[in-house]
Amino acid sequence: MSDSLAAARTVIRRGRWIAAVGLAGLAGVYVLALQYTPMEASQGLAQKIFYLHVPAAWTALLVFSIVGIVSALYLWLHDPRLDLFAEASAEVGVAFSAIMLTTGPIWAKPIWGTWWQWDPRLTLTLFLFFLYVGYLALRSAVYDPAERARFSAVVAIMGLILVPFVHLSVYLFRTIHPMPIVLKPSAPSLPGVMLRTLLVSFAVCLVLYAGLVTMRYGIGLVQHAREGAIDNA
Amino acid sequence: MLKPPENGGYMTAAYVAAAAIYLGYALRLWARAARALHD
Amino acid sequence: MSAHSSRAITRSPVRNTLRLAGVIAAKDLRAEFRSRTALVSALVFAALVLVVFNFARDPTAVSATDLAPSALWVTFAFGAIVALNRAFSMEREHAALDGLLLAPVPREALYLGKLLANLAFVGIVEAVTLPLFILFFDVDLRHALPGLVIVAVLASIGFVAVGTLFSAMAVRTRFAELMLPVLLLPFMVPPLIGAASLTARLLADRPLNEMFGLLRLLALYDLVFVILGTLLFPSVVDE
Repeated sequence: MSDSLAAARTVIRRGRWIAAVGLAGLAGVYVLALQYTPMEASQGLAQKIFYLHVPAAWTALLVFSIVGIVSALYLWLHDPRLDLFAEASAEVGVAFSAIMLTTGPIWAKPIWGTWWQWDPRLTLTLFLFFLYVGYLALRSAVYDPAERARFSAVVAIMGLILVPFVHLSVYLFRTIHPMPIVLKPSAPSLPGVMLRTLLVSFAVCLVLYAGLVTMRYGIGLVQHAREGAIDNA
Repeated sequence: MLKPPENGGYMTAAYVAAAAIYLGYALRLWARAARALHD
Repeated sequence: MSAHSSRAITRSPVRNTLRLAGVIAAKDLRAEFRSRTALVSALVFAALVLVVFNFARDPTAVSATDLAPSALWVTFAFGAIVALNRAFSMEREHAALDGLLLAPVPREALYLGKLLANLAFVGIVEAVTLPLFILFFDVDLRHALPGLVIVAVLASIGFVAVGTLFSAMAVRTRFAELMLPVLLLPFMVPPLIGAASLTARLLADRPLNEMFGLLRLLALYDLVFVILGTLLFPSVVDE
């Protein structure tokens, strides 16, 4: 049992390194976006929120898909480590989701003139957050570890399948009821320099996710190893 | 030449909020990791 | 060994499953009728919602037809949640599910049976709420009624497909009655969007061809989530 504990601790340490790199990268993105990327003349400085919001949103969606897929694997293979990884991913994912949901309205207000719009993308961000929260709430409400793993896997898979339906239903609704946008966002095509900043930011988000999830997974493994040791003592 | 809108305040708010969430979560996780490593 | 049981063995497994589902559904429904509190509480809630919506609007500014779809579907949605909650909490009180699980009943039949019973129950709640709604809002529904029934059935199948699966989980958690709505509400939104939108169009007498996209969405949602529920239910109730 101390073997798996040691292995779990190594996972945490590795995660810490990656997370540290990610945080340094985040600082770099801040500098890059604020200092070294030109301002968009028609939208003003608020347009720069884009470089934080969009990569966080992509990451939140990607991570949710990972939770769903890993959960499906768990139901198939019954390996508790898959469940621990899904749990770790969900926790990190909810952080990205919070960033997405916080920066979104702060960006929308100056650019679109309204804090919120029920368009497919924004509605999806809200739903993603609810699904994450539901997943974590369910986990905290079930005592038995095996039952907790099974139940949260079911919710994760259902949630993943729900995502395209939310998008589709809002899209269908909007094509029937086009909604006025108070201020139109400017030209959709993104100049090279801005695209570069966006992609760098996304890459940093991925590294940050990798580091944080590894740390959280390692913490879960340590708990799991300890519980195993107590059971076998 | 049109003057760009004065919305730097929003930018600051968003960047500060995001930093708070990223750092807040990372530090919390770091503390939990330290406990798991040294208990 | 009677001729009856040897005939049963040669039936196809799918038909067996469906037959079992029907039996389970009938048993559930009979149990519910013996305890009418769930139906009454759903009705009282529906009446409350309808009264509030009616008093909250200015009749000269907002016509009944404009507000009707929202009021109706809020009522139906919450009625569905109340119905689903009661159906499974009754199960828990009587520990009936554990008994059923010990018997060699295929889990798919169990899920479909409960789905049918819940659907019937939700349907009854909706059928009784609708006249209240016509009464309070004074809306002429005659031309829209067949369409409304179709929409209500499609949307309710969506609610109940996910709700049956989730209430089987929620009933085993702490704060069971809070957990079901928390988990279920995101899943009710696509059917709700479709149903409310379709109801608005039906009441406004819009041409049918405008509605096919949303109808297809509702039908697809139902198909996908009934299948998914059938596949995942065994993972919920079995070790």
